[in-house]
Amino acid sequence: MEEKLENALNWALEKFKAEYIEIRYENISKNTLELKDGTFTTFAGKGQMGVAIRVLADGAWGFSSTNRVENLEKAIESAYKLAKAAAKAKKEKIQLAEIKTNQDIVKSKMKIKPRDVSIEEKVERLMDLEALLKEDKAIKSTWLRYEDASGEKILITNEGTKIKWDLNYIWQYVWATGKEGEKLAAARDEVGAVDYGWEFFKEREPNEEVAERVIRKVHAQLQGVGPKRGEFPIVAGPIVVGIIAHEALGHLAEADLTINSPFKDLIGKQVAPEYVTMSERIVEGGFGNDCYDDEGVPVKDIHIIENGILKGIMLNREYAHKWNMEPNGHARAENYTYPPIIRMRNTIFEPGDWKFEEIIEDIKFGYYVVDFRGGQAQLNSAFQVGVQEGYMIENGEITKPIRDTSISGIAIEALKKISAVGNDFGLEMGRCGKGQTAFVSSGGPHMRFDGGIVIG
Amino acid sequence: MKMEELIRFGEKFFDELEIAVYKNRDASVNIELNEVSTSALRERVVSVVRGVKEKKLGVSIIDTADKEKIKEAIERAYKMAKLNKPDERWISLPEPGKYKKPRKVDKELKEVSPDYFVELARRGIELAREEGIVVAGGGGGAEWGESLIMNSHGVNVSQEGGGAFFYIELVGMKEGRVTPGIFEFDAKLSLNLEVENVVKNALQKVKWAFKVEKSKTEEAKVILEPWAISSLLSYALFPAFSGEKLVKGTTPLANKINENISNELLAIYDDPLHELSINPVIADDEGVPTRRNAIIEKGVFKGFIWDNYWAKVYGVESTGNGKRNISTGGINIGLHNVVIESGKRTLEEIIGEVEHGYLVDGFQGAHSSNPDNGNFAVVANPAFLIENGEIKGSTVFMMSGNVYELLPNLYEVSKEQKVLPFGGSMVVPSMAFENVRIAGK
Repeated sequence: MEEKLENALNWALEKFKAEYIEIRYENISKNTLELKDGTFTTFAGKGQMGVAIRVLADGAWGFSSTNRVENLEKAIESAYKLAKAAAKAKKEKIQLAEIKTNQDIVKSKMKIKPRDVSIEEKVERLMDLEALLKEDKAIKSTWLRYEDASGEKILITNEGTKIKWDLNYIWQYVWATGKEGEKLAAARDEVGAVDYGWEFFKEREPNEEVAERVIRKVHAQLQGVGPKRGEFPIVAGPIVVGIIAHEALGHLAEADLTINSPFKDLIGKQVAPEYVTMSERIVEGGFGNDCYDDEGVPVKDIHIIENGILKGIMLNREYAHKWNMEPNGHARAENYTYPPIIRMRNTIFEPGDWKFEEIIEDIKFGYYVVDFRGGQAQLNSAFQVGVQEGYMIENGEITKPIRDTSISGIAIEALKKISAVGNDFGLEMGRCGKGQTAFVSSGGPHMRFDGGIVIG
Repeated sequence: MKMEELIRFGEKFFDELEIAVYKNRDASVNIELNEVSTSALRERVVSVVRGVKEKKLGVSIIDTADKEKIKEAIERAYKMAKLNKPDERWISLPEPGKYKKPRKVDKELKEVSPDYFVELARRGIELAREEGIVVAGGGGGAEWGESLIMNSHGVNVSQEGGGAFFYIELVGMKEGRVTPGIFEFDAKLSLNLEVENVVKNALQKVKWAFKVEKSKTEEAKVILEPWAISSLLSYALFPAFSGEKLVKGTTPLANKINENISNELLAIYDDPLHELSINPVIADDEGVPTRRNAIIEKGVFKGFIWDNYWAKVYGVESTGNGKRNISTGGINIGLHNVVIESGKRTLEEIIGEVEHGYLVDGFQGAHSSNPDNGNFAVVANPAFLIENGEIKGSTVFMMSGNVYELLPNLYEVSKEQKVLPFGGSMVVPSMAFENVRIAGK
């Protein structure tokens, strides 16, 4: 396949006058299983194969994608023509930041790749998880989704980039509905990995732990009471801290969005207390980990907020040139049907030095929010996070659970209200949608906000 | 080799099987920061084989419609089925039905050049050029799809059609203040997109948003515009219409057939062939004919929607609401074109009569609602304060409650309906509620 891609690239270089041509091929086998209350409603093997082509000509982008690999030349021609057409409406020409090109083979770190595990074993594990969940009398209905992928991705460009990935991932999603009397409640749980293979389900996320977590969340909802509305001290656990990092702050640090957000004028300024640092980096077990992005740029760690000062933003080559900065490996495409856009990978707050007990001990009345269901933010950093597990804090102690509520605020204001950063750390795996889906993780330590966040 | 022969080939392995082929072409441009950025042409072919042997299901999905490859996919699906556990509730795939006459399709959408949308985007950006206003994003394009659903009981239905869309996101920046992003869009089954109107409406809202007003914690009148109402109901209410949830006892509507769940102003039906629908399918993804399904009439809940599987489990007929998840091959119960019936008066008239209240353009976090009980806790943003019948400025507030408690407070529905490309397609008016509890900021 590599030879075929290179031949097509050489053909295009002779035929067209373009600044940049990029060909990204993928051929991936997936297994998708969905187990709904004892029945596998999806039991699928999938072959996903196609090519994405991006051409920069006359300062504008053209993109085409096809799964007719035999028609590669035609697809390149079409991307070229699209770029030429877009260029007619373009005032400021797009330029790309220079990079040192890489030729590399990216090997998987997985110990047991999903393709080496039998379907029977995958089936057994899901059925076992379902049985564990249903041992709890309140669990009325469960929906388990599992997907894995193994395959290859090849990226070549006219500049000499040539990277081949052994691409693998595993992913699991649980939705459980609980019922007690007339009261219905639901909880979700999501895990996944790109660096851990099947061992992940043995060593890090065994069924017993997943089931226990889901059951706990459902019961918290079933027994929960509605919270008081208003602004109270909020202690956020690692998962909620992570979603705030991702939704409310991370998106604003994606260069294509930064430009329209309040972050634009805040770079270099103090936005949080000096004990607050937020990073976008490679994390042990991170779902967004990779060596290179889909433009062939090595992935670098950045501090978005360093000791309270807003510093780094996520870039692709186009925005790196615009901002006169170094690209840092955040151009990602969901699959061959999409061009790469600026995306997060693992967005986290770095731990501080408070113990959990110290964080809550002087709170007379407040809330402890543990897990979320959905979150969303606006360009002005206004955010909303649905809470699926949360508790009251009364006189320094965690007391009753709360149900179906949400927290919201303006992130750049809430940041200033952070009064304690815990010494622990947790990570949540998820998928981020920005027109395309990307695997990401987010997390951090327990953190306390004295104001700036409204619950209700 | 004909597709029918593939079915015959598959019958060597399966008791019954279904082959679905989807071909999509999508030409589009996107707008970034006052400029056209990428022009794209995406083509994709996906074939899904779903077969059942001794009540054991196997699915295979491939990115091609090549007949030899489909044969391989049939064999792969069979291997999967052998590994699966039998589903004792499985009855059968659907039998052939009688389809309605398909809508006339606009073939122009199949061939339209992305150049057309480059020009459209350029015009949109030009119209939005005003001081303090940034065209943060947007785009336009046309989608064309062809599908074929066949099964071993004789279902054989092909459909084709397409649609076009244009949207814009404006952000106002003045004196250090950044407004929330304001979205406006148009979607049609032809290229007659109303770019001028889209830009005009978005500009009006950005201007309102420059002035910031405080909202109170109170009970007030709240008017939800189409985008806001559709996002809230899609997550907090519509999942409860699923027959699967009835079988499992996880829908709050379980014992509510023929009962009032709203006041009589509310009527909701699923009607893919409604005149404004941009998803005019005559068959669902299992080849079952679609129809107009009344779900709520005059505030009374009329019944559930079904796909083939759950309908047979429950002993009723599929309502033609089987929708395929193209990435997993699985069929889920879903809506094609939700229509919320319009009222008699214009949105302007409804706003004009509000002494003190709010107009909500969009919700943040509607997707965090709880579909199993209807609870929601969302942030109204962008939202606007209304005083003495006039918009005073933008505001933000939280609205939390339960959709079944909200619906009876509906007091007016607007005459205008908007077509939204949401979960297929939706035709939605603005809806005004009274005595809504909000938490101001």
